[in-house]
Amino acid sequence: MATTVERPAAAPARPGRAAPSGRGGRAENSTKRTLYVVAAILAVVVFVVPLVWSVLRAFQPASVITAPPGASSFTKLTLANFRGLASEGHILRAVGNSLIVAISTAILTTLLATSAGYGLGRFRFRGANVAFALILVTLMIPFQAILTPLFLELNAMHLTNSLLGLVLFYATVNLPFGVFVMRTTFASIPVALEEAARVDGAGTLRTFNHVLRPLVVPGMATTALYAFLAAWTEFLGALTFLTSQNLYTLPVSLVNLQLQAYGQVNYGFLAAGAVIAMVPCVILFVALQRYYVEGMAAGGVKG
Amino acid sequence: MTLSVTRSGTPVSRRTAADVPRRSVLGPRSLVHPPGVGLALVLPAILFVAVFVLAPLVFAVYISLTNWPLIGSYRFVGLSNYLNIAQDAAFWQSVGYTLLYTAIVTVPILVFGYLMAVVVRANRRGSTALRTIFFLPYVIGLSTLSFLTVLEAQPGSGGINAILKGLHITDGQTPWLVDAPLATGLICVLVIWAVSGLTMVLLVSGMQGIPRELYESAEIDGASWWGREFHITIPMLRRTIGMSLILSVIGSFLAFSQFYILTQGGPGRATTPIVLYIYNRAFVQLQVGAATALSIVLVIVVALISAGQFWLLRERD
Repeated sequence: MATTVERPAAAPARPGRAAPSGRGGRAENSTKRTLYVVAAILAVVVFVVPLVWSVLRAFQPASVITAPPGASSFTKLTLANFRGLASEGHILRAVGNSLIVAISTAILTTLLATSAGYGLGRFRFRGANVAFALILVTLMIPFQAILTPLFLELNAMHLTNSLLGLVLFYATVNLPFGVFVMRTTFASIPVALEEAARVDGAGTLRTFNHVLRPLVVPGMATTALYAFLAAWTEFLGALTFLTSQNLYTLPVSLVNLQLQAYGQVNYGFLAAGAVIAMVPCVILFVALQRYYVEGMAAGGVKG
Repeated sequence: MTLSVTRSGTPVSRRTAADVPRRSVLGPRSLVHPPGVGLALVLPAILFVAVFVLAPLVFAVYISLTNWPLIGSYRFVGLSNYLNIAQDAAFWQSVGYTLLYTAIVTVPILVFGYLMAVVVRANRRGSTALRTIFFLPYVIGLSTLSFLTVLEAQPGSGGINAILKGLHITDGQTPWLVDAPLATGLICVLVIWAVSGLTMVLLVSGMQGIPRELYESAEIDGASWWGREFHITIPMLRRTIGMSLILSVIGSFLAFSQFYILTQGGPGRATTPIVLYIYNRAFVQLQVGAATALSIVLVIVVALISAGQFWLLRERD
């Protein structure tokens, strides 16, 4: 986590404007600094310690993980839980399924949202406003509330118990936010740039590839990151639409593990599986948080 | 998203200037893009939304008027699924439980999110790292965090029990997940811990948009820190605060994973929120028609709350 200290601020203050800080007398400044340090220490205790504790848990031998924690709980760390998961197969396959689904969702969502964002942000055509409103209105219809008819529909299309079906569903869920971000991104590019390419005789695709694409990559990264994380952590849809064990994504597989579908609960496996679920989120977020926070500021509509 | 024009644009724009007359003769936007391209670009997204959101919604209205079982034939039953909702005590229990849960978590999420935002809003040393840390649980997600909580809530071996025993508050054997009030308390703490970071991010971006001069003049007038927060920050942020409240209320109304994973809605139905109740009705009891009628009610309630969000967003412009 220390690596992020040097980075530029996630949401840099706009020039000429700033949050209140560093004003007032010297006494107030030192009080503030003390409070800040206290808050920082509290933050580490409340947020970092539980997460580190959970990660270390996954490396405890089975005998330690089910015993009351004490001073010696973290002295004998082992990879046994991860080896066990790997040899046991279910969870390993679920990790693979989750990766396939999350990566495919990120790609599909980004393609759809970029195309729609280009159309809505750069073209004037009849029905553009209706189209945008239609996509945004779906933000108001949570998939949790239309799960049953969606299940029946996907079933009729032979898309239940299918990773493809899950990807199509996830792409739709992430689409409104993606379109919102991409439309804003395209709309913020000066028209002069595109006009120049047009005058030079470049077609729609050429204009996009050579002039616009380099400028919209940050927006595409934001869209892809959100879609990946949403698909990687999604639980209810996967639980509902997938019925074969060999297609389960990681969260569904873990819930089976926890509810003893495979026999006695192996808490070591559960801890290791949860850590595997956690790691991509942490790495992606810490590495790409600039895009994440910008997306949130641009969208402001993500739940 | 600072898109630099000069980076690649300088030579291009020079050429534009030379070509201005040609452009004005031929008219805008028709030179290269064939007609219909804009619509064609948007069409795939519209298709997805139509097939996977609008069609199920229309289908839902149809199903809710039948006695649809998951497998087998069905017949129309008119509005009886809706009329039965009034007598569905278990549904109202889940509504009451969801409202209780929402009432418990909403204010703490706002307060903790606000406090975190106050800590990280200025660009001090380490404030970016703190933002990352505060937001990390939200990114990891409630399903993964719930699995980790299962482990720590075990009587005897769980970390929560170990801490409470160490502080001589309990004997360390508390069965957190099989007692409704205890499980509810635990889930509320988990959720407040996990999602306050979202409120923080929204509030920080709002705070950074407040003109600095407002604080400077307040300071000259001798306003205290509290005075400045209450008379400048909070009033200036009222739309952002409204929006984060709406997002968190919608999130609470749609809560599922943490309950399914930690308590499966039990003991009995004591910790069953609305979405879990509808899920059980449809996929465990296989009463799809009745479950869908309940879904329609949920759609309407959530849509009304979200409408407030769009209203807040529009007012900002």
